Amino acid sequence: MKNKSFLWLMAMVLMLSLFLAACNSEQTEGETPGDGEKTSDNGGSDSDDSSDSGSDGSDDQASDEPTQGGTLTYAIDSEPEGILNMAFYGTATDAEIMGFMVDGLYTFDENLKAEPNLATWETEDNKTFTFKFEEGVKWHNGDELIVDDWIFALETLAHPDYEGPRYANVKTIEGAAAFHEGEADSISGIEKISDYEVKVTFDKARVNNLVNVWSYPMNKKRWEGVPVKDMLGHEFTRTKPIGTGPFKMGKVVPGESYEFIANEDYWKGAPNLDKIIVKVIDNKTVVGALQNGDVDMVPVHPTLGKQVEKMENVDLVTYPGLSYYYVGFKLGVFDNEQKKVVEEKEKYANLKLRQAMYHAINREEWIEAFFQGYGSKVNGPVPSAHWISADESELKDYPYDPEKAKNLLDEAGYVDTNGDGFREDPNGDEFVVKFSHYASSNPTFESRAKALTQYWNQVGLQTELQMIEASLYYDKIEKDSDDIEVFYGGWSTGADPDPSALWKSDMLWNFPRWVNEESDKLLEDAIDIEVVGTDSAKRKKLYSEWQQIVNQELPMLFITELQETQGVNKRVGGVEYDVSGSNNPNEWFIKQ
Amino acid sequence: MLKYALRRILGMIPMLLLISIVAFFLALAMPGDSFSGEIDPNNTDPEYIEEMREKLGYNDPIHEQYFRWVSNFVQGDFGKSTKYQIPVKDLILQRLPNTVMLGVMAMFFTYIFAFSMGIYAGRHPHTKMDHFIGGFNYFLLAIPSYIAGVFAIYFFSFQLGWVPFSGSVDIAVESGTLDYWLSRFYHALMPSLILGALGTATYTQFLRNDIIDNSQKDYVRTARAKGTADSKIYNSHILRNSIIPIVTFLGFDIVQIVNGALITEAIFTYPGLGQLFLTSVNAQDYPTLMTLFVMFSFLVLLGNLIADLLYGIVDPRIRVD
Amino acid sequence: MEVVHNKDTQTQSPTTKPSKSLSPWAMARRKFMRNKLAMISLVYLIILSILSFLAPFITTADVTLVNIGQMSLAPSAEHWFGTDTSGRDVFTRLLYGGRVSLFVGLSCTTIILFIGTLVGSIAGYFGGTVDNLLMRFTDFMLNFPFLVFVIVLNAILFGIVSGLWVLIGVLSILGWGGVARLVRSKILAEKENEYILAAISIGCKPSKVIMKHLLPNVLTTVIVQATILFAGMIVAESGLSYLGFGVPQEVPSWGNMLSASQQPNVLQNMPWVWVPPALILIMTILSINFIGEGIKEALNPKSFR
Repeated sequence: MKNKSFLWLMAMVLMLSLFLAACNSEQTEGETPGDGEKTSDNGGSDSDDSSDSGSDGSDDQASDEPTQGGTLTYAIDSEPEGILNMAFYGTATDAEIMGFMVDGLYTFDENLKAEPNLATWETEDNKTFTFKFEEGVKWHNGDELIVDDWIFALETLAHPDYEGPRYANVKTIEGAAAFHEGEADSISGIEKISDYEVKVTFDKARVNNLVNVWSYPMNKKRWEGVPVKDMLGHEFTRTKPIGTGPFKMGKVVPGESYEFIANEDYWKGAPNLDKIIVKVIDNKTVVGALQNGDVDMVPVHPTLGKQVEKMENVDLVTYPGLSYYYVGFKLGVFDNEQKKVVEEKEKYANLKLRQAMYHAINREEWIEAFFQGYGSKVNGPVPSAHWISADESELKDYPYDPEKAKNLLDEAGYVDTNGDGFREDPNGDEFVVKFSHYASSNPTFESRAKALTQYWNQVGLQTELQMIEASLYYDKIEKDSDDIEVFYGGWSTGADPDPSALWKSDMLWNFPRWVNEESDKLLEDAIDIEVVGTDSAKRKKLYSEWQQIVNQELPMLFITELQETQGVNKRVGGVEYDVSGSNNPNEWFIKQ
Repeated sequence: MLKYALRRILGMIPMLLLISIVAFFLALAMPGDSFSGEIDPNNTDPEYIEEMREKLGYNDPIHEQYFRWVSNFVQGDFGKSTKYQIPVKDLILQRLPNTVMLGVMAMFFTYIFAFSMGIYAGRHPHTKMDHFIGGFNYFLLAIPSYIAGVFAIYFFSFQLGWVPFSGSVDIAVESGTLDYWLSRFYHALMPSLILGALGTATYTQFLRNDIIDNSQKDYVRTARAKGTADSKIYNSHILRNSIIPIVTFLGFDIVQIVNGALITEAIFTYPGLGQLFLTSVNAQDYPTLMTLFVMFSFLVLLGNLIADLLYGIVDPRIRVD
Repeated sequence: MEVVHNKDTQTQSPTTKPSKSLSPWAMARRKFMRNKLAMISLVYLIILSILSFLAPFITTADVTLVNIGQMSLAPSAEHWFGTDTSGRDVFTRLLYGGRVSLFVGLSCTTIILFIGTLVGSIAGYFGGTVDNLLMRFTDFMLNFPFLVFVIVLNAILFGIVSGLWVLIGVLSILGWGGVARLVRSKILAEKENEYILAAISIGCKPSKVIMKHLLPNVLTTVIVQATILFAGMIVAESGLSYLGFGVPQEVPSWGNMLSASQQPNVLQNMPWVWVPPALILIMTILSINFIGEGIKEALNPKSFR
């Protein structure tokens, strides 16, 4: 054995690796300014100056006028699944990525009302709709968008082999059920009039037929010959998706980063930016990455908001969110076969008990402590940004008032009879509130849940906290498991305001198992075309009444609604957010 | 030797079978399935979930599920990831190169550091430098890799901006070019250093002690007496003897890397198999979980096999067993 | 994690053959006492244990209580190490955390040593089929990647059994293989000695032979192994807790405290929350290692120091 040369070799390799490392970082930093088009974003380059000056403009003043060129780095802090096809995706993260490259038939305005995008529509009776497509819209591969592409998407969703979760978005179309069962070759409710016009008939008139129906076309020509069952794993879904949106998909490093290139032929006008790089980063690196300018835009968790606000190079953009958090009570047991609540649970049946528990919570303090003020308290099940949300004055407020809570408990018969400092139930038996919260590696969950139990302890209700593993948690709640009594949860509302799936007594996801005929009736009426017609004011009125009932009966204690917060580097301009999300990314630009 | 190797390899088969059973039942015993917690009224509905459970065979008898899984597995069909919705095989193939790269680099760093420190300390025992190396090794042993990882991200990525804090490659570079590989290397640098540091202390200490032991052996005295140069004695006589036992540790290295990759990848958001495994546990992605479990166990099995075989080559007495 | 497969064990066994000098224990003790590093470590560990196990008497603050008014406070006279994002006193949690971490480490080590020694000595003593079966089983257990198995098992048991014992149980069940192997090989070697043969030939019961004659001779190996295990288990606990697969979050442990560093604001702006547990953890591991080295040295008849 030649030992000496062996050692030499090792030494050489070590030297070489050090050299390469140095060399590499120099390259990424040195190359960018000269190379006008391709500004690279490397996690290691420690300043964004280099990529800033990358574009060819030579304005010496910063301005708010849109300028052309530049690369924006957009980060997401949870891992995508990589299903880049609107018809199949499952997580919001995937949808966020696709947001740069797809367009829908309609979008939502700042009041979450549908407004025309790729198509306009007309309807007389809310049963039959005529859609007129924008002419001259091009797919990224050059094909023109025609109604066949949308029909193709609808048929894919209704296809017997379809494995995605969106059949519900087409099954309201007449004949979709027959097609889904394989009994028909096409969906009878869809009638193509011309390449740009199509008539869709639903199985019955509903107020929400439009916002419920699937609105994302799929390029039929491109998908031709791909069986539906192979679509999910196909490269058109995974790595080479196309759309009609402002950016085209460039390179993909699955689960890690995605490159978007400006679509110069975008029908609403070419984007200002040359490129957007979407990067997946770990939650714990969000702040550092923003600060160093490694990323330009990233959704920020409320707990980090204050820190981002302090940064000199970053703006914190907040906009109203659509989610709310609640504390629910199990009031019964649901039978999924019979689709009804079959058994009532007595423990929390007393309204005064629930009211007392509501008054015991200092919501302002709690929200400030755990969401850093990026939330506000709610008294009903609809976030205030939504158009159906009842006016504040219509709902009863339950302010923090421990004395009132104690009085209510006394009245209801929950008094301390054995002198242990905690109240017993009206029969004199020991009363322990069992509170459940989901657990994950996020350590703030435990403390925020614990804080809630302390509020109840303070008014004399002995409370036990149980942290349940997140994946198991909703399973247990759904199955009305015996160890779930009082539970913490969150819902987010979609653009379609109908809350039936979560609140009607025959619904599996009505977790409190709350049965109230009046509520059921109101929810049914609100989407009944016979009752409300096309009048959204009338609809809103019904929903307001419904919210008042929920607010009185308290099957849940509504805690807070959250603001969405987004960190945006100051060099980025043209970004606006409202409750429906961001504006079209083709308006974004990099300031000079 | 061949007979011994053959016997050891055949002995792996029942082991693998048992491992597959354990993997299957562990997955079965895990709470919930991939649909648990998938409750979003805007996106899906209960009927769809029930339908998919039926379709994916979650409601079939257990033994049927097991045999279906095993027979598919043997044929190279590992099922479809319930989270990513692509065949597990593809998923693993995507991630494998990253973990392999991480592992190889980590081993490389381990050897480089262990050899340079171990050889130096062995040649100059009880000097200041030797004590320093010894102390340094104690620290390496005592600092858990995840703490080291957190510190590293904090200082080297955020404060100094030297290395990236996540990912495996810079998307801006063209795949296949030199830049691409440099970027890959650059991204794996920090995690592999941390991972490599794990084994360094043990090797260094072993090498040092072995060299000291050897230098007192008769053949070294003979060589000295003959007037052979000191450097030659160390570099050619002693080192050769000290390297041989180290070779047998190769198998254990594989085991270490499997365990270590889990933590390091999680900290650096490095998309390798370790991170994939943690995700699959959290997401109840059983096809992926089971495949990775069997794969990791197989790697350990293989590591032990390699260790035994190498040991058999180095020390023929072992083969009698 | 560097827990189970310790490379040392293979190579050190030939050198630490117990010798039959006069009162070896006394000699070892004297040697150990002269080892400064080991003694300092021992003192540190003893103080740490006393403080930790007496935590309820030392501090008055309720360790689990969330204190909204006092969140994220920097160190002060009132809160020596500040408070964390839940308004809990870091110093108090550090003590309670030590209690949990040391307890987990100690329990796991004890259980592992017990199972490992039992299996190893039975296999080694009886040999033949018993040995074959037990060792095949041990090999089987050793063939699972430790951390991977622990995470899966912990995820399963998390919902069923609650609290610390899940982790202790899981770590113990998966950790004894190495000890069993080691003890077996030592017993195999020891068994061939004439005095054992003599004991068997005069009709001593196997249990007596093992307990009285064999085990004392493998004890030295076991003790050294115990320190390695102890350190390893503490690291395992904290690492798993850091990843979210360890002790439940409501239980204060060093690992759980460290997992707070996953929140960027804590990592960057509140070092008082995560640096103390990190340092204490490192120092604890260091001192256990030093003690282990000290014992090894002391029990090694070849070393004269």
